[in-house]
Amino acid sequence: MTDSIFAYAGQILRVDLSSGKTWTEPFEAEDRRKWIGGTGLGAKILWKEVPPEAGWDHPENRLVMATGPLAGLPVWGTGGLTVVTRGALTNGATNTQANGFFGANLKCCGFDAIVIQGQSPEWVYLHVHSDGVELRDASSLLGKDTWQTQQALEEVTALNGHNLSVYSIGPAGENLVRFAAIQGDYGHVASKNGCGAVMGKKKLKAVAIERGKKGIAAAHPRALYAAADEIAHNLKTDASTRGLYLFGTLGGVRNLYGMGALPIRNYTTNVWPEDVDTKKWEGKNLREGFDHRGHQCSACGMHHCHMLVIGSGRHKGEVVDEPEYEGWSGAGWAIGATEPSEVAWLNDRLDRACVDVNEFGWLCGWVMECQQKGYLSDKDLGFRLEWGDVEGANRLLQMIYRREGLGDLLAEGVKRAAEKLGGEAADCAIYTEIGNTPRGHDHRSRWEEMLDTCTGSGGTLDTAPPVQPTEFGLPARIEPQDPEAVPKQVGVLRGRRTFEDSLGACAFTTRVSMHVLCRSVEAATGWDFRMEEAIRNGRRTAALLRAFNLRCGIGPELEKPSKRYCSTPVNGPVAGVSISDHWEKMLDIWYETVGYDRKTGRPTPETLRSLELEEVIESLWGAEVKT
Amino acid sequence: MKVLKIIPDRCTGCMRCDLACSYEQTGTFQPSKSVIRISSFEGHTSYAPYTCLQCDEAWCLTACPVEAIGISPVGAKVVADDICVGCKLCTIACPYGTMFYDIDTHKAVKCDLCGGKPACVEVCPTEAIVYEDAEQADWVGPFAAERTKAPAGPLAGVS
Repeated sequence: MTDSIFAYAGQILRVDLSSGKTWTEPFEAEDRRKWIGGTGLGAKILWKEVPPEAGWDHPENRLVMATGPLAGLPVWGTGGLTVVTRGALTNGATNTQANGFFGANLKCCGFDAIVIQGQSPEWVYLHVHSDGVELRDASSLLGKDTWQTQQALEEVTALNGHNLSVYSIGPAGENLVRFAAIQGDYGHVASKNGCGAVMGKKKLKAVAIERGKKGIAAAHPRALYAAADEIAHNLKTDASTRGLYLFGTLGGVRNLYGMGALPIRNYTTNVWPEDVDTKKWEGKNLREGFDHRGHQCSACGMHHCHMLVIGSGRHKGEVVDEPEYEGWSGAGWAIGATEPSEVAWLNDRLDRACVDVNEFGWLCGWVMECQQKGYLSDKDLGFRLEWGDVEGANRLLQMIYRREGLGDLLAEGVKRAAEKLGGEAADCAIYTEIGNTPRGHDHRSRWEEMLDTCTGSGGTLDTAPPVQPTEFGLPARIEPQDPEAVPKQVGVLRGRRTFEDSLGACAFTTRVSMHVLCRSVEAATGWDFRMEEAIRNGRRTAALLRAFNLRCGIGPELEKPSKRYCSTPVNGPVAGVSISDHWEKMLDIWYETVGYDRKTGRPTPETLRSLELEEVIESLWGAEVKT
Repeated sequence: MKVLKIIPDRCTGCMRCDLACSYEQTGTFQPSKSVIRISSFEGHTSYAPYTCLQCDEAWCLTACPVEAIGISPVGAKVVADDICVGCKLCTIACPYGTMFYDIDTHKAVKCDLCGGKPACVEVCPTEAIVYEDAEQADWVGPFAAERTKAPAGPLAGVS
C-alpha cells in the first residue's frame, strides 16, 4: 500500500477467464474521487468496456465485484459488495448489493474491486489472497448449493469463520436461470437482474477471498471513529431507524401490511386470511419464534442479520439464515405461505439455489394464481400447486433451477414466461416492461417505489425510500399516493442511494444524515467532502447507468408497469385507488425534476455537463450538441 | 484488579474488535496484526473471541529464556520488544494460543490491555468483551465452567 492512499487499497484486480490471465491496474486518485467505488466504479467500467452488441451472455460483458472506501473500516455494516454487470433479465445495467465480509477481506488482500471478463472454457473459481490470485478447477463444486460451496472451500483452504469469504452461485446460476443471484458468507445475496446467470455464463462458480494480511489506512482515524460512533448513535436512537437497529427488516411485515404494501397472493388481495396468527408476524415475535443468534456483517452493531434454527415441523433442527423482509414476503406472503418456520425454510432453499427471492415470489405466486383460475393445468405444470404450498414451491424451484419441464420457461423470469403464455395468464403477472420485477412490496400503495422501479437503470429501484428528505429541502413526509409530490420526491432524492452504493457500506447503516455520512468519508479518505459533492457523484453514476441502458436500446417506452403491477387494489387500505390514471403525469414531473429529456429518456446535455459527463454528451446526442 | 471478560454468547462475529486491536498495534486497520481473534463454530451460528486473559500462571513469562515478558502497572503481561529475540517459545508455552508471533517484526506480540483502556471493549457493539473488576485474574467465566462440568458426546460420563 502506498502511504498516500487512504481508505482504498489502490488497485483493481482484472481477470480474463477466456485466457486465464490475471493482472492488476491502479485505481487512480482522479477516478477514486470521481467515481468513489462500488456502483460508481462499476458504471464507469460498463460504459467504457461493454459495447451495445455485447449482451449479458457475451464474453465481453464485465462482471464487476466492487467495494468502496468505507469497506474494511470500523463504520457499521461495511463489508460491502456491489455487483455491476449487464444483467440477464433486462439485458441492461445491474446494480445490486450484498454484505457480509467481501469488501473487508478484499481490501486486506490489496484490491478495491475485481473486474471479470471473458468466459472460461472449464468451470473455475477465483481464489484471492494477499500474495496472489489463482483460478482453480471448480469441477468438484458443480451442483453444490451456495452454502455447500462455501463449506467445501473452507475445507480445501483449512480456513473458517470470516477468514474466508466466499461468494458463489448455486445450481440456478450454473443453469443460467435469468434471475440467478450471487450469494455469499451464508445468507448475503446480490440478487438483482440475474447477476448470477452472468457468473454462470462465465463458468465462474465462486470467488473465495481470504482475510488478507494488508492494512487499510484512514486519513483521520480518530475522526473516523467519532463519525462511526455518531452513525451508530443515530441508528440506535432515531425513530426512523430504531426498529431496523433492533430487529433488522422484520418489522416490515406488519408495518407494510398497515399501509397496504404487503403483497399477498400475487396482488390479488390486501387483507390477510382470517386464520393467520398475525401476532407471530410482529418483528420481535418473528425473531423470538426461533432459536436465533447474531450473524453480523463486517464491523456492524445492528441486530439485523441472524442465524435461526427451525424449531418445528418437517425441517426441525435445520439452520437457516433469518429471512429479510423480502424473504418473508417473496417466499411467504406473495405465494400465500403464512407459517414463519416454513417460509424461513423456503427462503433458505432459494438462497442456497441462488435465485432472487422477489422474482421467485412473483413467479410462483403467478403460477399458483394461474392454476387456481385454470390458465395453467396440472398437466402443464406436472402437479398441483395451491396457495401457500411451501413444499410445492420448493418443487417448482427445483424445476426452475434444473430447467425441467415448465421450469425451463419459468427460468426465463416473469416477463418472458408471461409473454410466452399470453392471454389472461399474462394479465396476472407482475413485472415491468424493462424486464425486472419489483422488490417484495405491493407498490400499488407505494407509488414512489413503482415509479422508481420502472425508471430505474440498475435492474431494480435506483432511489429507494427517502432517508431524511428534509436535508434535500423536501417535506418530511408526503402522501404515498400523491401524484405530484411522489415523482418530485423520487426525482429530488435521485443520487443519494447510488452514492451510498458506491461506499462499500450497507444501505441500512447509511440511513443517517448525509452530513454525518460525508464526515465518515472525509475522515476515511482525507478529502474535503460535502453533501453537495456526494449527491453530484450519485447523480453522475445514475446518469451514466441510464446512458448505458439507452445505448443498449432500453428506452423510456419500456418504463411502465405490467397490467397487474399497476392494477387497482380491490380491498385493504388503498382499495379503489389507482396509479394508472396519473402515470404519464408522474413521469412528466419526474423527468423534469431529474433533468432528463422526456421524449428520448436521455439526460439532457445541460444535466450531463453539470455532472462532468461531457464525454457522454456526444455519444447520446451527437457531435454537434457537444459544443 | 480489572480483567478482560469475554462472553461468547453475546458475540455476533462482526470483527470490530480485531479491527480496533489492529489499529492500536499498527495505526491502520489490519486484522492480521490483531491480538484478539474470533473463532466461529457450528456453521457460523456462534462465535467466540479469544485473547490473552492475563492468567496468573503466565507460562509465557516463565518460558521466555531472555526475560522479555514482564507485568505492566495494569496487570498485563507485556513483551519488551527490545529484549525479545523472536524464539517463539512463549507461543508454544501459552496453553490458550493467545501469544502471537509477528512475521514482519520477528517479535512475540500479545494483548497488553491497551495500557488499561482496551480498544476491543470500547468498540464491541454487543458488550461481548467487558473490562471489569474481578477477584482473580484468570477468570474463565461460566461458559468454560459449563463446558467442563458435563462432557457430551464420546466423553459423556467420563470424569
